[in-house]
Amino acid sequence: MAEGIRIENLVKTYGSGDTAVHALRGVDMSVAKGEVVGLIGPSGSGKSTLLKCLGAVIEPTSGRMTIGDRVIYDDRWKAGDLTALRRDLIGFIFQAPYLIPFLDVIDNVALLPMLAGKPNAQARKEARDLLEALDVAHRAAAMPSQLSGGEQQRVSIARALVNRPPVILADEPTAPLDSVRALAVVDLLNSMAKQFDTAIIVVTHDEKIIPTFRRLYNIRDGVTIEEERGVLKAQAAK
Amino acid sequence: MISLAGRDILHGWGKFVLTGVGLGLLIGVTLSMAGVYRGMIDDAQALLDNSGADLWVVQKDTLGPYAEPSSLNEDTERPIRAMAGVDRAAGVTYLTMQIAHEGTDVRVMVVGAEVAVPGEPGQPPHLLAGRRIVQGHYEAVADVKTGFAIGDRVKVRRNSYRIVGLTSRMVSSGGDPMLFLSLKDAQDAQFDKDSDAIVRQRARTASSPVLNPPGNPAVAEAVNAVQASSNNVNAVLVTVKPDADAGQVAAAIRRWQRVTVYTRADMESILIDKMIANSARQIGMFLVILAIVSAAIVAFIIYTMTIGKIREIAVLKLIGTRNRTIAGMILQQALGLGLIGFAVGKIAASFWAPFFPKYVLLLPADSVRGFFAVMAICSLASLLAIHAALKVDPAEAIGG
Repeated sequence: MAEGIRIENLVKTYGSGDTAVHALRGVDMSVAKGEVVGLIGPSGSGKSTLLKCLGAVIEPTSGRMTIGDRVIYDDRWKAGDLTALRRDLIGFIFQAPYLIPFLDVIDNVALLPMLAGKPNAQARKEARDLLEALDVAHRAAAMPSQLSGGEQQRVSIARALVNRPPVILADEPTAPLDSVRALAVVDLLNSMAKQFDTAIIVVTHDEKIIPTFRRLYNIRDGVTIEEERGVLKAQAAK
Repeated sequence: MISLAGRDILHGWGKFVLTGVGLGLLIGVTLSMAGVYRGMIDDAQALLDNSGADLWVVQKDTLGPYAEPSSLNEDTERPIRAMAGVDRAAGVTYLTMQIAHEGTDVRVMVVGAEVAVPGEPGQPPHLLAGRRIVQGHYEAVADVKTGFAIGDRVKVRRNSYRIVGLTSRMVSSGGDPMLFLSLKDAQDAQFDKDSDAIVRQRARTASSPVLNPPGNPAVAEAVNAVQASSNNVNAVLVTVKPDADAGQVAAAIRRWQRVTVYTRADMESILIDKMIANSARQIGMFLVILAIVSAAIVAFIIYTMTIGKIREIAVLKLIGTRNRTIAGMILQQALGLGLIGFAVGKIAASFWAPFFPKYVLLLPADSVRGFFAVMAICSLASLLAIHAALKVDPAEAIGG
């Protein structure tokens, strides 16, 4: 399978000298297009820092990151415009849906293509197509406050997918859901990853969904351990 | 691209509109203050326009008759009338006083004008109803703002006068409506002594062998008559012939008469630059304070609205919204608030202006200036909120 995202020897250190905190000590990770992998780890292990580096929100200290064939980071950001990079290459799904409360469902989804410069009509058509694929098109005119939790999460998945990003970062997307709905969301992510040829990284603590991942990255003390179907495959200890 | 600001406003329109109405009432007060200032200037100009004069001849070295007391003998007008370039000249008196009418006190400026010849300076230039004063005594013409009606009788000092005509926009520089009497009646009203003072003066005259020589009572009678009458005026109003230059005529009067003469420009300067200058500064201070208060309120409201959307702003930034889009959203909301506020303020000021005791003149040009000032204040006031929004870290949208 073609590569979606790859990071090599990613380091993130906060501060310097005696007070330096080494949040990431050399993380390696690779996710193929159409693949969904889990990222697990205890609190303070560096999950959030890794997510923020992957999301181009904070700058790593060193290492290399590529999305597809494009080098995003190689000891410095290669893209001049990180806002456009996030908009075009990375989709985000949050623990809570965080839909924009003053936009209706279709415009919550269409906002991203509109921000990318697409005409409103085209952006709304793309949004509607996605909402249909996610079975929430019938709520297109509703406001976020009128949706159920499950519907809100589907809309947030649509928003993450609408610009067809090669990578989606999902931060605890099933945390507020019961087992049935959580597994449904994972099924949906798997289906969307294949349908849209997107690499999806799911950061989770949720024991209910961990067994569903074919591959897992377990992060501890700033390094990742890759597991496949629960079998220790490789260790990137530094 | 959809308008994020417009959608946010529509989503919480009730709160936004109520806030705009509150701001609008404040803007309405600001516009009214400007209107009060304009009204004062307009009153002053109306006073000059309606007097029908080109020149004001007053007591030497005074700023009379509106800004300072001025007293001239009424005969001063005769040599002036004969001077080259002078078309008409007439004495006038001005006296501001309270008049009791139907159980309330009405503050008026009593104007004494020559009534024998129509069109003399000092007379009301137009009538809304009734007729001009034709009798020498006990008739009056009133400005409609006095609330008097034709046929009403009003008492000025000891005498009663019948209202025979109504005029409008005849007010003093302080905005008090005018009541026109014949010059003689007005002189009596202004210079009459009360009965007790007359009795004491007569007793003093009678006890003086110089003023009441034995065997010649006509002397005392003549003295008493002189003391009880007045032939003073506060100013002589002069109109110049169409081909004459008012400045040159004024110079000629100054040269030959021991008086002070003001042209229209001089009198405007006295009324506007001297008399209402302090009031104008006072109003100016109020306008500045109100502008600062309005800016503070807009800044607080927009800042609070922005702080309430920190999470949404973080999400917007994380998913790729540019800072300028977010800044534009906040600026548009501030301008929207200003727009609602200005519309409400303009309507409110227009609604309540007639209820002000003094003339409130709302000029369209002031409204245009006010609109741009409101927009500028709202733009400035949004800077604090924009600064707060731009400082929001998109990482706040990611947990941990």
